[in-house]
Amino acid sequence: MKTASKVYTGIIMLFLFAPIIILLVFSFNEAKSLSVYSGFSLNWYKELFKDAETLNAVRNTLILAVSAALVSTVMGTAAAVGINKLRNKYLRMTMDTVTNIPMINPDIITGISLMLMFVFVGRLFGAATSLSFWTMLIAHITFCLPYVILQVLPKLQQMDKSLPEAAMDLGCTPLRAFFKVEVPEIMPGIVTGMIMAFTLSLDDFVISYFTSGNGFETLPIRIYNMTKKTVTPKMYALATIIFFVILALLILNNLVDDEAVAKSAKTKAAAKKEHSRFRKMAVGIIGGVLAVCFVLVLVFSGRGTMELNVYNWGEYISDGSDDTLDTVKAFEEWYEETYGQKVKVNYSTYASNEDMYAKLSSGAVSFDLVIPSDYMIARMLNEDMLLPLDFDNIPNYKYISEDFRGLYYDPEDTYTVPYTYGVIGIMYNANVVDEADATGWELLWNDKYAGDILQFNNSRDAFATAQYKLDLDINSTDHANWDRALEELKAQRPLVKSYVMDEIYNMMESGEAAIAAYYAGDYFTMLDAQAEDVDLRFYYPDHTNYFVDAMCIPSCCQNKELAEIFINYMLSPEPAIANAEYIYYSSPNSAVYEDEGYMEDLGEEAIAILYPEMESFRELYNKYAYRNLDNETLSYINTLWETLKIS
Amino acid sequence: MKKIIELKNITKAYDGQVVLDDISLNIYDNEFLTLLGPSGCGKTTTLRLIGGFESADKGDVIFMGENINDVPPYKRNVNTVFQRYALFPHLNVFENVAFPLREKKVPRDEIEQKVQEMLALVALTGFETRSVTSLSGGQQQRVAIARALISRPKVLLLDEPLAALDLKLRKDMQAELKKIQKATGITFVFVTHDQEEALSMSDTVVVMSEGRIQQIGTPVDIYNEPENAFVADFIGESNILDGVMLSDYKVAFSGHIFDCVDSGFGKREAVDVVVRPEDVDIVAEDKGMLKGVVTSVTFLGVHYEIIVDINGFKWMIQTTDFVDVDEHIGLYIEPDAIHIMKKSEYSGLYGDYSSFSNELDELSDAESESEE
Amino acid sequence: MRNKNTSRGSLVQRLTLAPYSVWAAFFIIVPLIFVAYYAFTDSEFNFTFENITRFFTATSSVTENGIDREVHTYLVIFGRSLKLAVISTVICLLMGYPMAYIISRASARAQKIMITLIMIPMWMNFLIRTYAWMTILQDTGILNGILEAVGIRPVHIIGTEAAVVIGMVYDYFPYMILPIYSVMAKMDIRLIEAARDLGCNSVGVLRRVIWPLSLPGVISGINMVLIPSISTFYISQKLGNGMFYLIGDAIEGQYIANNLHFAAAIAFILMVILLVCMALLQRFASRKTAV
Repeated sequence: MKTASKVYTGIIMLFLFAPIIILLVFSFNEAKSLSVYSGFSLNWYKELFKDAETLNAVRNTLILAVSAALVSTVMGTAAAVGINKLRNKYLRMTMDTVTNIPMINPDIITGISLMLMFVFVGRLFGAATSLSFWTMLIAHITFCLPYVILQVLPKLQQMDKSLPEAAMDLGCTPLRAFFKVEVPEIMPGIVTGMIMAFTLSLDDFVISYFTSGNGFETLPIRIYNMTKKTVTPKMYALATIIFFVILALLILNNLVDDEAVAKSAKTKAAAKKEHSRFRKMAVGIIGGVLAVCFVLVLVFSGRGTMELNVYNWGEYISDGSDDTLDTVKAFEEWYEETYGQKVKVNYSTYASNEDMYAKLSSGAVSFDLVIPSDYMIARMLNEDMLLPLDFDNIPNYKYISEDFRGLYYDPEDTYTVPYTYGVIGIMYNANVVDEADATGWELLWNDKYAGDILQFNNSRDAFATAQYKLDLDINSTDHANWDRALEELKAQRPLVKSYVMDEIYNMMESGEAAIAAYYAGDYFTMLDAQAEDVDLRFYYPDHTNYFVDAMCIPSCCQNKELAEIFINYMLSPEPAIANAEYIYYSSPNSAVYEDEGYMEDLGEEAIAILYPEMESFRELYNKYAYRNLDNETLSYINTLWETLKIS
Repeated sequence: MKKIIELKNITKAYDGQVVLDDISLNIYDNEFLTLLGPSGCGKTTTLRLIGGFESADKGDVIFMGENINDVPPYKRNVNTVFQRYALFPHLNVFENVAFPLREKKVPRDEIEQKVQEMLALVALTGFETRSVTSLSGGQQQRVAIARALISRPKVLLLDEPLAALDLKLRKDMQAELKKIQKATGITFVFVTHDQEEALSMSDTVVVMSEGRIQQIGTPVDIYNEPENAFVADFIGESNILDGVMLSDYKVAFSGHIFDCVDSGFGKREAVDVVVRPEDVDIVAEDKGMLKGVVTSVTFLGVHYEIIVDINGFKWMIQTTDFVDVDEHIGLYIEPDAIHIMKKSEYSGLYGDYSSFSNELDELSDAESESEE
Repeated sequence: MRNKNTSRGSLVQRLTLAPYSVWAAFFIIVPLIFVAYYAFTDSEFNFTFENITRFFTATSSVTENGIDREVHTYLVIFGRSLKLAVISTVICLLMGYPMAYIISRASARAQKIMITLIMIPMWMNFLIRTYAWMTILQDTGILNGILEAVGIRPVHIIGTEAAVVIGMVYDYFPYMILPIYSVMAKMDIRLIEAARDLGCNSVGVLRRVIWPLSLPGVISGINMVLIPSISTFYISQKLGNGMFYLIGDAIEGQYIANNLHFAAAIAFILMVILLVCMALLQRFASRKTAV
């Protein structure tokens, strides 16, 4: 029995720690891959500490978790005291039920319900932004509260009711009696409640996802928004550091406890003093953290310096890793040098156009700059969500190639400045796929490679692959057209290994899958990290998607001129080249593609793919790019997508 | 004697159920006063009113001439020893006792000295740094007393403080409490449902039932001169019979006319007659004033307790003479063994031993205690 | 103890309870009313049942084994979510119950260490943990690498229901252990001794004493695992290879597609179903423990 339980415990622990060991190992990986280990390196730790935005997200996460834990602990403890005193049966039952609601409601419902309310109330008061740090804090406090209450309440119920009375009898006011006698008695419950609240808040993604607002990005959201690109091993390094910090804290805590026990064996009085000193220290530390947090929050929400709220795709700007330019920081410095005034860029990310649109159109957030894709720009223009730009503030627009002006979504070039462009192509593992099969879209439907094919996990791109294959109009409003595409996708489904976004990196690099369509630039990221027995190749099918992501200013912008200065800065050679190198997408900026150093670094193969010869980009683009579809069609596509997913 | 606490016409109800019904009571300086009564009689509530944990619906609590109805517990110069002691588990013995002084911000060395004094008083010197949870019941009890006494309250309230101790320890603590009360000169208000405890310790006993005071008096008065059937039955054992006062010093009950020492009743007034079991002598059947049949005999060490059926009424008699079950015996009662009481609402409820059983009695005791 | 509130008591009570009551009203109750409000209105905020009926009636044609069939889209999605969540919960319970028991019977020090170990993974971001599982479970992943090394045929897990279940079990496992453990740790060891004394063998003790006494912990464990696993949308995306569209994905999908009202409707229906289930579970539990 004894050995059996030991073995069992071992197996469970292995199960629990297996992924953590993986995190640990891959955080020391040389390559930017989460599945192919290529050698030991401390690179990702270095990168992590250079990544100001990620560190900022860590800081935000901690501020949020500490604040939420403290507030919910104080309020929850008070509430537990109140509930414990309730004698009215119905009141008591009501309070119990209400307290239980956030616990028996899935996160997603709590998140959506709060989001709906914040947005509604925000609109009611005409606030420019209703989602912010504060809404997130409110949401976190709300779902932490029940856990605190449910920890404290039983301790109160177990406590001898005459203890507080005895304290009052001996000269304490009720308040002092509470703090001197009741609080020490229920302290274990309070501490457990606080730790639970802290943990839950730290780990929460779903509720934050729905209630996050301007410029306050927590770690989980940042990670989720990396889904178009890839989750960098920096995150593994971060997780490893967190793991060791926690481990150290726990060991320290254990040591202090053991010491206290050891001492109490000798002299209880000394241990007592030690204990109270330790407690005072703990109170001091907590108080300090609280103070720091509030200062940070005040600084954070301070309106002293100008702020610029930028909303971009995850991993879609050069962030200082690998000795690249930290664009955001560089802009802040450049601005201060040039204008003699401080500016703070709040940089937030989104995972998809639709994600961004959902947040922005709810009216709950306010950003000064967004970088959507073409069809989304068309949609936003349609709904008056963008402001015309003042090109006097953007002299660097001169760098934008003539080819990228007058595109369909902004024919007069009034609202947008192109940031990147690209083409969807097909990549395959030449060690699995016959060269002869590697042509056209048919490769994605080739049943020879059943179980090796990846398909987009977003409806528009996935349907487009079928439509290109069938030579259908990708912008049709005819249901029959979409129905045919669906049939094609359904036929493909048995062959598909996985519907992917960022997972493609792992799967292609490791040879897990062999065929996928994706955005051209990303091919090179995978190529850099491919495993030894993988040989990735790339080609363009005849008809394929051309896309442009462009910078624009949404109508909720608070500081238009500053946003335009930022756009202008992004167009200037240094940041433009840095971003092009970082993102690996093609740049419409002549300062980039005419830069010899940049082109040299790319190499011929990359140039051939990223900057293919074409007669007129505009012509091809206007023919093959996604257009905005009407709501009815979008809704229909969504329904078809669900059908595909449940097939 | 100086009045310290005065309760004036106190009424208190919970959810419409009256627990204190127009209570008035004076508590004097330096006295050991006991509130005695069965569970639910309102004695604890009375104590909590004095302590300040409850407020009366009607009536006043006067402390040294001042109305303290609205004075919170921590401002009252009154301290309480709680039923289960309510020692603070997160503090050691020293800190528990020092608690009130720390609250008053008394200087360190003074605290040290006073705590040592108190610990010496309750014979716990050397226990300073012990955790209170590691102490025995008796030791915890002493800590609770030391803690309550350290700020020299005018009045110490004790809520059944001995209930959790075993018999031997209880006896010791009774003596100790009495000693401490004498040594400190502090007024003790003691709540108990144990009549023996009340009689042995108190200067004044207040017998309560159903939210009313039944009798206030010295232990001797209460025992010898119970005011009604309830008191007579609750304090010690009593045979309570319906009687008729024929004239002064003459009373008729159980079909016999007795001489007695009571007077001042109306002619032919119906009364309750109390005869304590130890005051009845057993004689030969033909020599007895009353005649009966023994129905049960229990040996209790110092004496036998026998139940005698006299014309259908069962008497309890305590005797050192041995008699056998079914024996026919005679009873003899001295005039001063007969105590006459006016009829009250309790008449006829008590004093008949026909359904008597030690076991049953204890069972119902235990039940009523656990209700509290 | 009759500790009836005096006027002073009720003041304290009002002061301590007031902030929470106000908070709960504004941030727990009102938001739920908003969910209902959105669920029963169209995009112009006119009252409608359409969103609700759509959930129950929308159909799509799927091909199964070469045969086309009409199925109720959302009922199928809900059914699948429920199935995976229930399987995950049952596995969590089967795995967690013995673990909780082992911990509760260990020395105080060992208990502390084991509970800490179980909680540590909760401090690592759950998105990253899930990502790490991808690395382990994929066909060319760590697990198959190990299997290959010891000469066992590789297994295909990623993208199957099993992978999603593993992800859910992993992420919510601590939530099953902790409540069961805390009930078991408080259990009086004398009860078990008494049962032994009265002739129960080990199985009997487990069935007739330990299990019924630990039921409150089990119920709250089930609650804490079932609820999040029924509504997850990240795990199914990452470990299910995007093949398993669950109710959480459906809500998120509708939110992304800007159909807030229908998203609210799905959320509303899910909420009602779960509330009813939990109420039934509670009732079942209280009857069980009352016997």
